[in-house]
Amino acid sequence: MKKINVLGLITFVVLLLVNLPFLVIIPSSFTAAGYLAFPPEGFSWQWYTMILDRPEFIDSLWTSLKLAAITAVLATFLGTLAAFALSKYKFRGSGVLNALMLSPLTVPSLIIGISALLFFTRLGIAGTFTGLLLAHILISIPYVVRLVLTGLSSFDYTLEKAGYMLGAHPFRVFWDITLPLLRPAIVSGMIFSFLTSFDNVTVSLFLVAPDTTTLPLAIFTYMQETLDPLVASISSVVILLSLVFIILLEKVYGLERLFGLNSQSH
Amino acid sequence: MSKRLSITLLTAPAMIILLGVFLIPMLLMLLLSFQDENEAFSVQNYALFVQDPFYVQILWRTIRVSLWTVLATLVLGYPVAMYMAQATGKMRGIVTMLILAPHLISVVIRNFGWVVVLGEKGWINESLIALGIIEQPLRLLYNELGVVIGLTDSFIAYMVLAIATSMYAIDPSLNKAASILGASRVRTFFSVTLPLSLPGIIAGTTLVFSLSMSAFVTPALMGGTSVKVMPVIAYEQIMATLNWPLGAALAFLLLGSTIVLVTLYTKLIETKRYKEVFAS
Repeated sequence: MKKINVLGLITFVVLLLVNLPFLVIIPSSFTAAGYLAFPPEGFSWQWYTMILDRPEFIDSLWTSLKLAAITAVLATFLGTLAAFALSKYKFRGSGVLNALMLSPLTVPSLIIGISALLFFTRLGIAGTFTGLLLAHILISIPYVVRLVLTGLSSFDYTLEKAGYMLGAHPFRVFWDITLPLLRPAIVSGMIFSFLTSFDNVTVSLFLVAPDTTTLPLAIFTYMQETLDPLVASISSVVILLSLVFIILLEKVYGLERLFGLNSQSH
Repeated sequence: MSKRLSITLLTAPAMIILLGVFLIPMLLMLLLSFQDENEAFSVQNYALFVQDPFYVQILWRTIRVSLWTVLATLVLGYPVAMYMAQATGKMRGIVTMLILAPHLISVVIRNFGWVVVLGEKGWINESLIALGIIEQPLRLLYNELGVVIGLTDSFIAYMVLAIATSMYAIDPSLNKAASILGASRVRTFFSVTLPLSLPGIIAGTTLVFSLSMSAFVTPALMGGTSVKVMPVIAYEQIMATLNWPLGAALAFLLLGSTIVLVTLYTKLIETKRYKEVFAS
């Protein structure tokens, strides 16, 4: 019994440390003082209204949301199609193709960012929204492929066959049988892609221009020059936004199952 | 529709992205890393690494910081994984959620939180001074310690999960058998739990090491200008100095040394295990 208590205590401390950044950021965003302080001094919303006066944060928040939403839809679409091919058909080279689909996970983001910058400069799309979008789709595809493949591995293809035998059109079979059964995997692939894009810094770093900066990058740049409660208030906004998606993810799929599939982030 | 056509149509869109945004760019980057100022073939960017102690020092610092991170995540993460393995379903779920959820929030924001806590006028220093334990603020940030703290926070979830997975697979009756045979808790831990969780430890340490080696954001924000690691100088060469060939070479050197070190490590452990098996 005593051993469990020691382990429990260490676990408690570790959980506290891992969540400490948020426990500090959110209160200090409400400070009435003109500088960062924890515990905060007084209470005020001033640092939240201040965000509204900073177009760089508003614009980049908009860019980030747009980017993450389009990335989520496209990466999920492309990844799901590929996962279908990999799961449904047995063919020569399927192992290689599978490894290829997951390979962006095994290469550091730094290299993905640099190589994309070099190539996109030649194509003339470095610094554009399109370039950024293409790179974000790339880093999201492996997660979708893994998630949907896992979903498909327990999928009962006789259900599809039954549909065909009853005379349903292949599209109808897909829409009424296959898709609903795979929905948790596909939806979580979409949410995870959204978060992957919304959080990314290391790849975006090489591909943004001043007018296509994403929010995490705007915070990153601002933080290197100034540390004031404005960072805390804008961070709190991001934390709240992310939390919505994290809770959704937990409800739809379960974080533990999800991380069993994950092997790299930044 | 033929099978071949279906496969092609289904995989083509993703393949186009992989080729155009990943494989071709990487090849281009590799070629570029072998170019000199006149765009002629040269190994000078890689040779620089052997000739110039500056770069060797930076690589060594990157490795050192990564090793400390591995150690810290292992020491802190192992008990958490052990607790998760012993906990009931509901408690395990809560711990999993609390350790994984922060991971899905941007690393920039988590680092910012740590800056507030660890800074010279941060929470820890202010409290210690107020309590009269120290007079001068401790330097917890903008040095290697700061980077290790940031990286440990970033990657501990991977270590916990890797070890927990191997712990879940341990048959609980083994612990019971050990205690029936009169083994103490400590003895059971060293003879049963630890050896059986070794695959998880290997997976976790390898993963955390690789991730730490290529981390950019945390060293940039928590190491400041004094602690430069390989990803940071590669970034500077690309974005500030605009020496793309050198930046590319530095990034590949980093990847190469990570792969070599991880391979050596896993080989070493495997040989050791074989020896143990044959010795008994």
